[in-house]
Amino acid sequence: MDDFGIKKILRFKIALQTIKDYWKITIILTLLFMGMTAMYAGMFPAFKDVLTEMLESGLAEGFSFFRGAEDMGSYVGFLNIELYQIFWIMILGIIFGFLSGAVIAKEIEGKTIDLLMSNPVSKKQIIFEKFIGFIPMIIMINIAVILTVFGVTIAIGENLDFGNVVLAHISSFPYFLSIIAIGILVSVVINEKMKAGIIMVALIVGMFIFESLSKMIPDYEAIGYISITHYYDPYNALKYGEIDAVGIIVLSVIVIWSLIIAMIYFENTDITV
Amino acid sequence: MNIIETKNLTKYYGDIRGIENLSLQVKKGEIFGFLGPNGAGKTTTIRTLLGLLKPTSGEAYILNKNIEEDIVEIRANVGYIPGELNLYEHLTGRQFLDYFSSLRETNLSLLDELLEIFELPLERKIKSYSRGMKQKMGIIQAFMDDPPVVIMDEPTSGLDPLLQQKFYEFLKSEKKKGRTMFFSSHILSEVDKICDRVAIIRDGKLVTLEDVETLKNKSGKIIKLKIKEDPSKFKGSKDMEIVNGWIEFVTSDDINYWIKEIAKFTVEDLKISDFSLEDIFIRYYKEGE
Repeated sequence: MDDFGIKKILRFKIALQTIKDYWKITIILTLLFMGMTAMYAGMFPAFKDVLTEMLESGLAEGFSFFRGAEDMGSYVGFLNIELYQIFWIMILGIIFGFLSGAVIAKEIEGKTIDLLMSNPVSKKQIIFEKFIGFIPMIIMINIAVILTVFGVTIAIGENLDFGNVVLAHISSFPYFLSIIAIGILVSVVINEKMKAGIIMVALIVGMFIFESLSKMIPDYEAIGYISITHYYDPYNALKYGEIDAVGIIVLSVIVIWSLIIAMIYFENTDITV
Repeated sequence: MNIIETKNLTKYYGDIRGIENLSLQVKKGEIFGFLGPNGAGKTTTIRTLLGLLKPTSGEAYILNKNIEEDIVEIRANVGYIPGELNLYEHLTGRQFLDYFSSLRETNLSLLDELLEIFELPLERKIKSYSRGMKQKMGIIQAFMDDPPVVIMDEPTSGLDPLLQQKFYEFLKSEKKKGRTMFFSSHILSEVDKICDRVAIIRDGKLVTLEDVETLKNKSGKIIKLKIKEDPSKFKGSKDMEIVNGWIEFVTSDDINYWIKEIAKFTVEDLKISDFSLEDIFIRYYKEGE
């Protein structure tokens, strides 16, 4: 029996369809993030002096809830805040959260789940393959943004360790995978796609706020630990080429457990339409 | 051999009864009618059989495999037309069939034949399909990989009369090939037309399970007559009614006796008819009230 299931899963047909279903969104997001990256990185020469002044006058303290805010005057520091902290961690995190939160809920809400499950597939397999189906989207956007950063950096003649850029992107994988895994868990529990998507957005924004509070208020450092954003630090990767091994382990555990809980929950729940 | 077997299958949604102690057997090669009005538990039964709902208690087997243990294997051998059919609207008909055939992983030996009977514009998006077209797609995907068992939840809804006719013909030819079909419906005439045996359920419980013909024979005949004399003088069976001057009553098999009784009067008109499934159905439902 188990063999039967595993053989089926390894053909990844549902994953493949998920990739096809999200193909348009993947292209749009890729272009959008390439555009944003080019715009922000390209803006640096114009902002350089202003930023240095801001830092000197202490105005930049308003950004202190971002990691590496004190370094905003440098190219690396600027990219970290404008691009990685805001667009990468926050915006892309929210987008992945919204999409993954809807991925199973929309099959249940749209009542296509009955037909899907008339095929020889298991509920576990649906969860796992939907998860796999998101990976190409993460890869595409990462590669596109890496190449854009390289291109713009060369074009404006700034210094940047390209190896570190790649590292910052690779280490974002566990972060995005954990968002998608949590999203899928929310998606099997909340069977309405809008609701599930919005809950995921709220969750990510909420975690981001917790993480920010923990940085701004010294006594509240501990509350940052409940945020997944705490476990991914693009600044250290960009600046020093360091990755947070513990963070990667924590995020991997979140991925595995979210998927396992989602599978157990889904297996033991009626699909009421 | 029993293809589908349920033993005291029970499904509660919290406190609400879906089905209770449902025990039935579907034999190989028959078209099994599953009859009941909306809300009687037909869809609950079917969705439990397919592993979409977890039984509260009881057991069920399809092709001798337990629905709670081997559901993936069961699904590989069972075609299903959901009662509330929802397809992937963003795909074209062709893309949908490609996706599903990739999930089935068997030869789609019946696909061409099906597409000939139930024509569809496969290059168009399913979004643009009419209700009837979608229903045809539902039929096609259920039969295309030639499964030994097909479970259908009110499959004729949305089909125009012409297509319904085509579909009945198709089912009859499939039956000849030995396919077992479970056919839920609230339309009595179609069950009467195509099913070999019928189960009637009410409020989630099995009311009767019988050969369609036996059921009709057992129920006797309806005699309706008009006489010149005062109708109240006629002594029919105990359930006799006088409706608009017509004497109506039900009798089992002593038809000879009644003909002689009737001959004592001046008969203006006389009708002796079999029970239709509809009459039986209404009778079963009245009994429960």
